[in-house]
Amino acid sequence: MALIDADPSVRYRALLLAALDCVVAIDHTGRVIDWNPAAERTFGWSAAEAVGREMGELIVPPALRERHRSGLARYVAGGEPVVLDRRIEITAMRRDGSEFPCELTITRIVQPGDPVFVGYLRDITERHLAEAELHASRARIVSAADEARRRLERDLHDGAQQHLVGLALTLRLARRKLGSDPALVGELLDEALSDLATATDELRELARGLHPAVLTEGGLQPALASLAKRAGIPVTIADVPEERLPPTVEITAYFVVAEALTNVARYAGASRTDVSVRHIGGVLHVEVRDNGRGGATMNGGSGLRGLLDRVSAIGGTLFVESPEGVGTLLRAELPCAS
Amino acid sequence: MATTVLIVDDHNAFRSRAKRMLEAEGFEVVGEAADGASGVDAAKRLAPDVVLLDLQLPDTTGFDVARAIAGETAVVITSTRDDEEYDARARRSGACGFVSKAELSGAAIEELLP
Repeated sequence: MALIDADPSVRYRALLLAALDCVVAIDHTGRVIDWNPAAERTFGWSAAEAVGREMGELIVPPALRERHRSGLARYVAGGEPVVLDRRIEITAMRRDGSEFPCELTITRIVQPGDPVFVGYLRDITERHLAEAELHASRARIVSAADEARRRLERDLHDGAQQHLVGLALTLRLARRKLGSDPALVGELLDEALSDLATATDELRELARGLHPAVLTEGGLQPALASLAKRAGIPVTIADVPEERLPPTVEITAYFVVAEALTNVARYAGASRTDVSVRHIGGVLHVEVRDNGRGGATMNGGSGLRGLLDRVSAIGGTLFVESPEGVGTLLRAELPCAS
Repeated sequence: MATTVLIVDDHNAFRSRAKRMLEAEGFEVVGEAADGASGVDAAKRLAPDVVLLDLQLPDTTGFDVARAIAGETAVVITSTRDDEEYDARARRSGACGFVSKAELSGAAIEELLP
């Protein structure tokens, strides 16, 4: 028999049983008269245990219980409704006394006699955790950007700027000695050229760290080959797609490999590192696997954490498997749909 | 008699280039220090006519070092960084003034000395 044709009480029962949200009905004294399977799962009380008991003592935390009771009594005595027919967020309590955030709507069933109320409750713990993680992740991204700018300023100050200052002092001295000591001027100009070359190298290296030009110009294949060449460890690269991908995907994949290779070189003591990048079904799968000492964790330092934020920001996922003594696999899955 | 100078800076390359340039311009570099604490010690010990003092030191700032020694010797603060506020801040800390490293010369130091 189709549900639409069913007897209203059968229909009500079917809806109650199938509902994903907790559905709890109480009478005007606050006693439970209906308690669906979702409520059983969420609160830990079976329907047989819950029905007939006061709802307040089952699912309302002690600190909120008196307010719940007095609110119900005031409304039943003719007071204005405060919580009816609107969405509210409150704290609810499980059978074991643990509390959790809950989304709640209460409605009154219109019927002759004493009022009956139905509450629809949804555990929003995961939503709260996701919101908190989102806020934390945004804060980390802002903080990482600030830190990157500070590091860039420091690198410029300690590196290229020092060489350029040295260059200025050397050239000033050379000009002073131009008439009196040509041999010294020759030496000073050689020194100036050396300072200039060093400053240029450092600026090039900094620019590459900000955004690799080879990635913009040629895509992932030459960019990852360049990373591998400069990694200072043996790296094998396989399966990198030739096609160009959305710029955010390319740069994220690049930084996944860059961070992984930096970590391998610094910590892993590996003799072999394999990089593979495959584009399958609209997802770019990036893997960096080494045979080093393992033991890496996502929370081990700011590098992988920052990478996770970067990957999450484009809707991707990042995993690390790193059993002690076996090696580390860093795997990112990056959606390529624009 | 040559003006004596103490150079306080944590970058070796800068100290050696500044020393060579100042000596070529008739100054006598009587000492070098790589951080604020040893700079204060050297200033008291060597009593130079002027201390050429880097603003960003590993252990403190040039402004703080200037406050510690400015009553005893002339101080010129220098930095790779440049900011229009640096000269006023240098003077408030008791130094004679500020000169950017890229603009450093014997003449620039002499202009600031009392």
